[in-house]
Amino acid sequence: MNDLRLRRARRPLPSRPLLLGCVATVALVLGACGGSSSDKKVAAGGFASGLPTDGQKRGGTLKLLGSEGFFHLDPGGSYFQLDYMVTYATQRPLYYFKPDDPKTAVPDLADGPPQVSADNKTVTVKIKSGIRYGTNKKTAITGKEVTAADVKYAFERGLNPSVANGYEGVYFPLVGADKAKGGPISGITTPDAHTIVFKLTKPFGATTARALVMPLTVPVPKSYVAPLDAKQPNPYDAQPERQAFTGPYMISDYKAGKTITLVRNPQWDPKTDFKPAYLDRIEWTIDADPNVAGRQIFSGTGLANADTPTAGAVKRFATRAKDRITFTPLGNRFVGVNTQRKPFSDINVRKAFAAALDRRAMLLARGGPLVGQLATHFLPPTIPGYDEAGGAKGTGADYLANPSGDPAVAAKYMKLAGFPSGKANGEKVVMLGENDSPAKETAQITRDAIASLGFDVSFRLLDQSTLYSKFCGVRTELEKIDVCGFAGWLPDFSDPYAMLTANFYGKSITAVNNSNASLFDDPAVNAAMDKAALIADAGDRAKAWGAIDRRLVDKVAAVPFLFDNVANIASKNVQGVVGQWIASWDLAYTSLK
Amino acid sequence: MARYILRRIGWTVVLLALVSAVTFVIFYALPSADPAVLRAGRQASPELVAQIRARLGLDDPLVVQYWTYMKDVVLHFDFGFSYQSGESVRAAIVSRLPATISMTVGALVIWLATALPIGVISAIRRRSLLDRVTMTGALLAISAPVYWLALVALYLFASDIGVIPIFDGANTYVGITQDPVQWFASLLLPWLVLAAGFSAFYARLLRANLVEVMGEDYIRTARAKGLPERRVVWRHGVRAAITPIVTVLGLDIGVLLGGSILTESVFNIPGVGRYAYDAIRTADLPAIQGTVLFAAFFIVVANLVVDIAYAFLDPRVRYG
Repeated sequence: MNDLRLRRARRPLPSRPLLLGCVATVALVLGACGGSSSDKKVAAGGFASGLPTDGQKRGGTLKLLGSEGFFHLDPGGSYFQLDYMVTYATQRPLYYFKPDDPKTAVPDLADGPPQVSADNKTVTVKIKSGIRYGTNKKTAITGKEVTAADVKYAFERGLNPSVANGYEGVYFPLVGADKAKGGPISGITTPDAHTIVFKLTKPFGATTARALVMPLTVPVPKSYVAPLDAKQPNPYDAQPERQAFTGPYMISDYKAGKTITLVRNPQWDPKTDFKPAYLDRIEWTIDADPNVAGRQIFSGTGLANADTPTAGAVKRFATRAKDRITFTPLGNRFVGVNTQRKPFSDINVRKAFAAALDRRAMLLARGGPLVGQLATHFLPPTIPGYDEAGGAKGTGADYLANPSGDPAVAAKYMKLAGFPSGKANGEKVVMLGENDSPAKETAQITRDAIASLGFDVSFRLLDQSTLYSKFCGVRTELEKIDVCGFAGWLPDFSDPYAMLTANFYGKSITAVNNSNASLFDDPAVNAAMDKAALIADAGDRAKAWGAIDRRLVDKVAAVPFLFDNVANIASKNVQGVVGQWIASWDLAYTSLK
Repeated sequence: MARYILRRIGWTVVLLALVSAVTFVIFYALPSADPAVLRAGRQASPELVAQIRARLGLDDPLVVQYWTYMKDVVLHFDFGFSYQSGESVRAAIVSRLPATISMTVGALVIWLATALPIGVISAIRRRSLLDRVTMTGALLAISAPVYWLALVALYLFASDIGVIPIFDGANTYVGITQDPVQWFASLLLPWLVLAAGFSAFYARLLRANLVEVMGEDYIRTARAKGLPERRVVWRHGVRAAITPIVTVLGLDIGVLLGGSILTESVFNIPGVGRYAYDAIRTADLPAIQGTVLFAAFFIVVANLVVDIAYAFLDPRVRYG
């Protein structure tokens, strides 16, 4: 099992910044989206682009083959890539990223862009009329119109431990949320049936507005769902076919760990939605062997992958069926070192390590150029601020100049760190890594780089879940470890805030569930992040975060080595359309040929 | 006899309790993932993780957690719910048992139907061409990892990806009540793959035992009495040589009913083995505990049946 599949299943996902209400109109937002044409079918290298085109066929059944199951299909808990594929096909969040334009979120349930107040502490959203709930069995809410109160309840239940939303507290600092455990939140009001107002505890509106693409914003009718939320486990999650659906599809059948089937939602009105919803039915098989699935998709018809294909399948498609494989950039990978413990608390040792690390070997170990490009900083190409941070060229730091490693530069920094010979004297370094390929191989390359500096490396490999939840994510444990092989991030939405704060903000260091692998806590960087989070203007925001990215490289908060490319494969009669912001099929746009 | 059976059943209950306790201890004593953290997601605050932990009862002392779990199992046959999917573990296992039983029974029929004649013929016609060919084939089948064999079988014979497409391939399984013909077709290749190794092992075991038995004095006596060779082989030889195989068979059936993880995975047959694998991968303790208990139950019951059968066959066992 490769770690990318696990990684995809466990990490937050990317999106793109919303245009703010005070600077944009719906027309402008929609106008920013690219049109569709057949010349979009092919991407660089002759691979399929994964973009929507004119004249896609309506009807038919798509079969998805995946090896992983779902974590949470309740939109309140949905936080992982596979969950998102279903949630965004069956539900309507306030905003949505069209597959071909990951840079601009467009109103979905919302009726126009979010309005952010001048003090950046209030966000107001108008909701469309005429959107109705569909259910599998007729209930009191079947055909009932969605109101702002339903979005309000979605946020309230997110804090209920039976729903346990993982990011509400991060992106929505709502007034009164600290006291809410599933009940009313004073910071959310609904002045009328189609308006919802979020009052924030701090001037965070610019970032909150961008986070309104998250599944938490999917409306949830309180009268129907509150009784379910009182149960443990929550049936709205465990039996998702019981949900009230607003999207073009409904979950008609779900067998945990086996299959899920989506059918058309009869209450969905295409006049209220821009999604084409070509397919009649989507049948998703879970637990398929990835080696077999890759061959079935290659030889069969009407099939596509649900999660990351194996390296063998990628190679087969890339050489023999280029027009049926897509590569989509997503996220970053880096090596975090403990910046609060010797020897890596010394910035010169960190620079020496960066210089010694053979990042090209790391890329090759992961599958070569098809799987990504060498990283020289932390903001990937799809995230605003990438260019401002130096783009592909990087920041110019000499310790990252040679991707194959530079022993002379490493020795220079070791001398500056107080090792006159340019090598350490066998001081002990504790390192943990993942035991699945290819993470195992990259961990071994990292170990060799540290050892080449003269350190004595104590090296242990563990499975990813254990590594994170018992060691790298637990501060007291992490403080005793020099290198914890947990490296990489997929942002929740395509904004540099969502990309950098989780890993490098001082307040991200927590007792448990810690995501700051380097224990990096630099007051100047923290202050710069606080300031940049308030910036509403997209250009200014990208500049500010690009500068922060540069500063992270200067401080060697970690050593970046890869910007990922995610592969998706499909059978010959499938026109797979990839939601660029999550690098997975957008089921509302994918069709048969 | 009744006392013997009661005593064996009593030991079975003790063994299951021990297995459940050991699983609990292993899960907590060895490094494994924290279910609350996995449930909460990467950005969740420590407060939220603490709430989830309290809600799942993970804050309770280990003894209390174990007692609560066992109480529910014994009194309500309730194995809790999956941390991962929220699904009832009992319902999940029960819904997957038919697939696992189908796999086990079908493979069992094939491996016994092939192993017994091969073993007997090889033993009787030692060093013949047939003996050499079948034993070499058996050696190969034993040596081939079942995962590899399953992949090769699919790449050769599956109707969708095979070079000679004659069998239904992966992802085609349906329940017997849904479509018996499709059920049979979808399981034929998995049965053959699963049976291959077992068949080879049983054939070699039977051959070795039978070769030894056929050299015994009582076989010579039987022949001297003028009994037909067929009767000598089947009534006196095979009957004695097959006893150790019954013991192994009981264990193997028990193990397979606990789930044949690799075969189920490759062919995507939604059985208990695949469920166990997923549970381990996601640190889903209730599901791990449930599948381990089920597997242990099948193994000890199969042993119990074998022991009771022995007691009937050999009175010395009853009083031993």
